[in-house]
Amino acid sequence: MKTNRREILMFAGGSAVGVLFTPAPWRLITDTALWSENWPGIPAPARGEIRARFTNCSLCPAGCAVRARCVGDQPVQLSGVTGHPLSHGALCPFGIVGHHLPHLPARVKEGPLKEAAAALADGIAKCGPAESVAVLDLRPSRTASWTYRRAMAALKNGRYVTPSGDTSVAVDLSKARTVLSFGVPVLDGWGTPGNVNAARTGFHLIQVDPVESRTASMADRWLRVRPGSEDALAQALAGRITHAAAADTTGLTVPEIAALAKELEQNGPVLVLGSSRLASGSGIVIARRETPVPEEWKKAAPAENLASLPDRSVRVLMIDESASAEYLSWNAIEKKLVGDNPVVVVFACSREGYARHANYVLPVGVYPEVADDIPPAIDSVAAMFRISAPLVSPPAGMVKPEEFVAAAAALGIGDTLRERADTIHKTGRGKLFTYADAKSQALKDVSADNFWKALNAGGCWIDELDSKPSPARLTTVAPEVRPAEESELPLAVVLTHELTPGSPLLSKLYRESNLRLAPGRVALNPSCGLDDGAPAVLETLLGKCRVGVTLDAAIPPGVVQASASPALLDLCAAGVRAKVVRV
Amino acid sequence: MTSANKSIRAARYGMTIDVDRCNGCGACMMACAVENNVPPAHEGATDRKGLTWIRVFKVDNGEEYPDRRTAFVPVMCQHCGNETPCVHVCPQQAVDVDPATGVVGEMPQRCLGCRYCMAACPYHARYFNWWDPAWPAGMEKTLNPGVTPRMRGVVEKCNLCHGRWHAAKEAAAAAGKPDTEPVDYTPACAEVCPTAAIHFGDLNDATSVVAMEAGKAESFRLLERLNTQPKIYYRSKRDWVREIAAAPQPGARKEKARG
Repeated sequence: MKTNRREILMFAGGSAVGVLFTPAPWRLITDTALWSENWPGIPAPARGEIRARFTNCSLCPAGCAVRARCVGDQPVQLSGVTGHPLSHGALCPFGIVGHHLPHLPARVKEGPLKEAAAALADGIAKCGPAESVAVLDLRPSRTASWTYRRAMAALKNGRYVTPSGDTSVAVDLSKARTVLSFGVPVLDGWGTPGNVNAARTGFHLIQVDPVESRTASMADRWLRVRPGSEDALAQALAGRITHAAAADTTGLTVPEIAALAKELEQNGPVLVLGSSRLASGSGIVIARRETPVPEEWKKAAPAENLASLPDRSVRVLMIDESASAEYLSWNAIEKKLVGDNPVVVVFACSREGYARHANYVLPVGVYPEVADDIPPAIDSVAAMFRISAPLVSPPAGMVKPEEFVAAAAALGIGDTLRERADTIHKTGRGKLFTYADAKSQALKDVSADNFWKALNAGGCWIDELDSKPSPARLTTVAPEVRPAEESELPLAVVLTHELTPGSPLLSKLYRESNLRLAPGRVALNPSCGLDDGAPAVLETLLGKCRVGVTLDAAIPPGVVQASASPALLDLCAAGVRAKVVRV
Repeated sequence: MTSANKSIRAARYGMTIDVDRCNGCGACMMACAVENNVPPAHEGATDRKGLTWIRVFKVDNGEEYPDRRTAFVPVMCQHCGNETPCVHVCPQQAVDVDPATGVVGEMPQRCLGCRYCMAACPYHARYFNWWDPAWPAGMEKTLNPGVTPRMRGVVEKCNLCHGRWHAAKEAAAAAGKPDTEPVDYTPACAEVCPTAAIHFGDLNDATSVVAMEAGKAESFRLLERLNTQPKIYYRSKRDWVREIAAAPQPGARKEKARG
């Protein structure tokens, strides 16, 4: 049989058509899709035994209870602990992704430990009689804070410095029928989220804010005042200036102010936040009992505010930024340093904060790598003791700030957390709440060892309530505002304290949805003449800073809303004048 | 995931979202991303190219101060129960409605990335993977083992935490419960909502919280006039919020959304 060219072509063509009627090509498409799902570009989640572990979130002073779903020892998901008496099972967006922090790309992983120790020793030796060695503790009342205080007491010129306020002041939200807030983000970061939400139905919220903040939008009443005029309203309500004078300053009407004054009078008790001009109702703001500490620790340096230090007096400054709650402007700190070669050592996990100004930056472990206790939150009426127990190990080379400071002062310390837990246990007061079973038991029924184990496995000690608590006052530190010509700096700054940038996943809230204003960005009225998303420079009397611009019709003309970042906070405070110019 | 077994008591999983309680914190968005291994934003991502299976929109009543009012509306796949638009247009049969749960599912392995479903979805609740999923070095260890990350070039969306549903089914089977009964589970967004604005459950179960809330007078669904019968119900006592949800013709009201 002879095969000609025509037959070969017919066979090839017929085969090509015929194969389409077989499963082969379609199977190949499916397989290709399956292969592509598993190509090396797609990470494969780790497998292993799944179990729950418990700890406390140390990212902010609220210290919410956390249940971590772990694969092996690695946490893969964080959620709240239902039944917790204060956090009520809630966790904020930042806390939900807290387990990503050890993997931050910009994390500081090494630092000049020996050089810093040597410079510190040299600085302490050179410290003159009018000079001092200071520790700035951004989250006081921790066990580590007591170590700092003891270390500073051991030094001749040691000073222990905290940002502001009395950490023993507590707010009993359940007793307030009205909350008058002057710019305080009551529903968006103030206090413990779960506790505030639980109490929310019990109080009428009046928010005084120049822009429609998240709290203002959820408040029962929002009073839009001119930026920086909140104090005038408070003075009018306190009877120090007339309603007419306050109306001129704030932009509110006289009837609005009169109606507010009447409402506060009729719908008490009132909790006032963000202003020292007005006193809160009886029994709402109280002095909380102190969480017990060993008696020998009390020979410690007193806590001082930064403002109380003489200018140009600090030769050596150590800043613990590992557990921060507040940010003090670098300008305020810098003027306390001596003029000639001060030594500034910063303990931090990133270079975005005070590390920009430090001589030495020492890396520290982050949540949830290190054991640290969390002082009671402002809305916790009872004293508490809870430990942020580590869920993963820190990388090698991390510094423990309290050990470093104690060594610099030649102070010998042991396991301070355990010592404090034992002291609490000796009091026999209060109860232990354990997270795994959501149960409470009287502390006197628990042995010291079991108490310590429970604290490390997820638990907290809650003190008995004081039957007759002493009244206290919330202090508000007014920002230092330099006067500026409105013609030169036409915008008034309103700060919004958005979540600290942490997990890269927070891009969902910023770049991928614009739900929140990202740190380092400013929002302006569309009439400002700038383009949405354009890079710009924010300028105040203190300096300049690059920012990104977001246009938002909700921002009134003449106002710039800035999302707080360390670089911005070095230049701005609420109410300062600024301008934003195109790059 | 599908089963045509008639002995199965079909569930109709759905949600109720109380708009008046939502404070727009974004905890639901973060919990969703963690649960479903949604990657962080690529350098080129914007609010139009990002991946947010659930997204909280800020809406207002269009008035000026002092009459201005704002609300936060979380929007995810609405799990349409009638003439599901994305199912009809998918040339790959990569989208289906599970008769046992009512959940609109998405199979990324079948998806060829044509994005017809994105065009068809009236709720803009589907997202295209423009880039390879990437996590910073070391962060892959934190991925949820119950969910496979998706590849570049496919569409993805909320599936009411299907991984959790599977886990609940397995747990129920291990406990000796019959396979024919709906299981109790909670998607990540409903679990973490700090204001308890989101509730999840079986709408077919008249005793469930969601079934009772869905039947209340203030309850509404997005774009109800399309008759897609979404299984996500919203609640608000504010008339203007319900008006926005109905999406009147352009120009009928001064509405505005940011998010």
